[in-house]
Amino acid sequence: MGVGGQDETAFAFEGRLAEFVPIALTNIVLTFATLGIYRFWATTRERAWFWSRTRFIDAPLEWTGKGIELFIGFVIAAVLFGLPFLVFNLLLQGLILQGQPLIAGLLIFGLYVLLLFLAGIAIFRGLRYRLSRTSWRGIHGGSDDNGVAYGGAYLAKTAVGFLAAGLLIPWSMTALWRDRWSRMSFGPHMFESQPTWTKLMGRYLIAYLAPVVILIGLVIAMIPLLMVAGTQVQPGSTPPPGIIIAIIAVVMLGFYIIWPLAALAYYSAYTREVIGTLRLSTLEFAFTARTKHWIALFLGNAGIWAIAFLIAAIPIGALGLFDNFVPSAPGDNPLRDNPVAYLTLILALIVPFAIVGPFIRYRNWRFFIRYMEAGGEIDIASLTQSKTAGMTQGEGLLDAFDMGAI
Amino acid sequence: MARVWHHDGVSALRHDTELTSVGDGFRLATAPDTVIAWADLLPGDDRGGGPIYRHKTLPGWRLGFDAPPPLEIAAKLPRAARYGGLIDRFGLGPSVAAFAAASAAVLVAVLSAPYYIAPLIPASFERQLGDALVGDMGGRICDGGGGQAALDHLVARIEPAPEGLKVRVINVDMVNAVALPGGNIFLFKGLLQAAQSPDEVAGVVGHEIGHVRNRDVMQALLRQTGLSLVLGGVGGNSGGYLNAMVSATYSRSAEARADGYAIDALRRGQITPVATAGFFARLAASEARLGRAAAALGYLSSHPMSQSRAQAFRASRVAGTTYASALSPAEWRALVDICRNDPDAAKDSGLFF
Repeated sequence: MGVGGQDETAFAFEGRLAEFVPIALTNIVLTFATLGIYRFWATTRERAWFWSRTRFIDAPLEWTGKGIELFIGFVIAAVLFGLPFLVFNLLLQGLILQGQPLIAGLLIFGLYVLLLFLAGIAIFRGLRYRLSRTSWRGIHGGSDDNGVAYGGAYLAKTAVGFLAAGLLIPWSMTALWRDRWSRMSFGPHMFESQPTWTKLMGRYLIAYLAPVVILIGLVIAMIPLLMVAGTQVQPGSTPPPGIIIAIIAVVMLGFYIIWPLAALAYYSAYTREVIGTLRLSTLEFAFTARTKHWIALFLGNAGIWAIAFLIAAIPIGALGLFDNFVPSAPGDNPLRDNPVAYLTLILALIVPFAIVGPFIRYRNWRFFIRYMEAGGEIDIASLTQSKTAGMTQGEGLLDAFDMGAI
Repeated sequence: MARVWHHDGVSALRHDTELTSVGDGFRLATAPDTVIAWADLLPGDDRGGGPIYRHKTLPGWRLGFDAPPPLEIAAKLPRAARYGGLIDRFGLGPSVAAFAAASAAVLVAVLSAPYYIAPLIPASFERQLGDALVGDMGGRICDGGGGQAALDHLVARIEPAPEGLKVRVINVDMVNAVALPGGNIFLFKGLLQAAQSPDEVAGVVGHEIGHVRNRDVMQALLRQTGLSLVLGGVGGNSGGYLNAMVSATYSRSAEARADGYAIDALRRGQITPVATAGFFARLAASEARLGRAAAALGYLSSHPMSQSRAQAFRASRVAGTTYASALSPAEWRALVDICRNDPDAAKDSGLFF
């Protein structure tokens, strides 16, 4: 079967938002009602819908994971890592109170090393779980590797990437991508990927040097500002607000817009390179999103966040007004005497942000599938069932580290 | 008979075939020798077209209908899954109501259980926990010329049996006082300097002793732990914020009880409670000048001031009683200068408080 003709893309997302809204809303209601326990089933429902609305060539993807698997993964991560971490925290507080900051510092360093190692395992096992629960025409993916070796590689390569003044981060990112994907399979075939990191260095250096360039630019930009200010301001007095606002605006523009844009340009090239070199037998993948598409994605997501902030600002504003009308001493909290108002406020604050999550994930998935491409020949008859061992628990560790997908 | 499509889970090939019902199961034309039981089918994805089914034990095995199946077959097929087994059985509304009720019950239990459990925890265990946690406060504990003796005297006046109490001063420039596990009470140096008389300090110490005697510290510790366990499911930081907010509001009744304890203690020691009320009023006034941001770090943020609170202290004054100063002028001077007279006490590095 040929894949990826001239105007036909191999991947397509065919979901409609109107169909997704009831799923997202009932998930939020059930998650609130169960103090968060339902979120594992909510994630599963959401994914099942995303996958089933995603067509690859002529058949939809299928998510075969279960909520209980994610729940078990979470419980295991909580018992294996959460409890020792709690005890460790108590120990650390004791050490700090007793004036042993050196030992405490060494322990924290050791903890970071361990966390980096565990984060590597978590990323690997998260990917493995997702592939093993992704099915197409009844065939699924997976891996027979438990991810411990990848955890070590993740620790070592990330450390090298950062230690070389951060200059080898593109190398560590691409090498780790190759390390994890070359241990994954789908059906009888292993994935292969040989991304080149040197290609990414140009964009990386721009992002890397951006803060320095911005700082130098700022100093140069300051000169006329200071000259204007110098004629108006007496030594020792505060400069006029206009000058301060101008300085703040330039700093914000530099560090909150130009720098992130440079980082995004690098990340965009990185995703095109790593996915572009990914192969599965005779199938070749590609990812065509350019920086401008990523910007559009982030702007849209930021818009959703902005709406949530606006909605959440209403109860906060109401509280501010309320606070001004209630005579209270400093430290006094007018809500302290009114638990109902307090709970209402908490809900009014949390609900808009809870609703943001599913819609951001909807946009991200649609974005990912829209720019995902595949080409080459695929022999359906020889695409036989995966022999990889099934996993019994979901991405609990990944969840514990609060890490994203892919 | 019905037209179906089928994946056997062995290869990715799609078989368009026919399904024939046979007793408790069915047969597919592509594998006429195999009978599959209806009971082995599980509902698959809902793609908006005809229904899809999986097999309980054969991974990748799929059976799909392109059109709604004939009624006699539909009756034997499992019902579509939507929210999860339990919720599908009882319906969304009743399930949400039941879950919400159970969650509220769990929260109430977690919030109120420490009140009953804390007194059952052996004092020796709490002491060990407290000592392990507190140690020597990084050498910040002050012990300059007669200051600790004066403080012990003050404690003895308001608390005739001060067993298990360790009231000390630490070299930190903040107006605050804390009760930690194991009867450890710390007055911050800044509080001693802000106080105008030992009577004012006596009220604060009485309040903190009240927390120790009421096992409030252990309660708070248990509540915090319980909430972090329960809200762990909320995920990420939102659970942590929620936890901090809930446990912060809960200490109100504990504060009132500790005040009651302090008022009784002052009465026992024949120390005027009006001084404490005055101290609180002065703190409130000075923090009003500093603004709320600064106040958030001080005594009043952890011990919220209210008119009724100061009023309770003022009202406990008994007319006709002769009140005696909590400490002699020499003792008071020694207490105020307890850190200045102890050059060994580590300076407040400002790092940990």
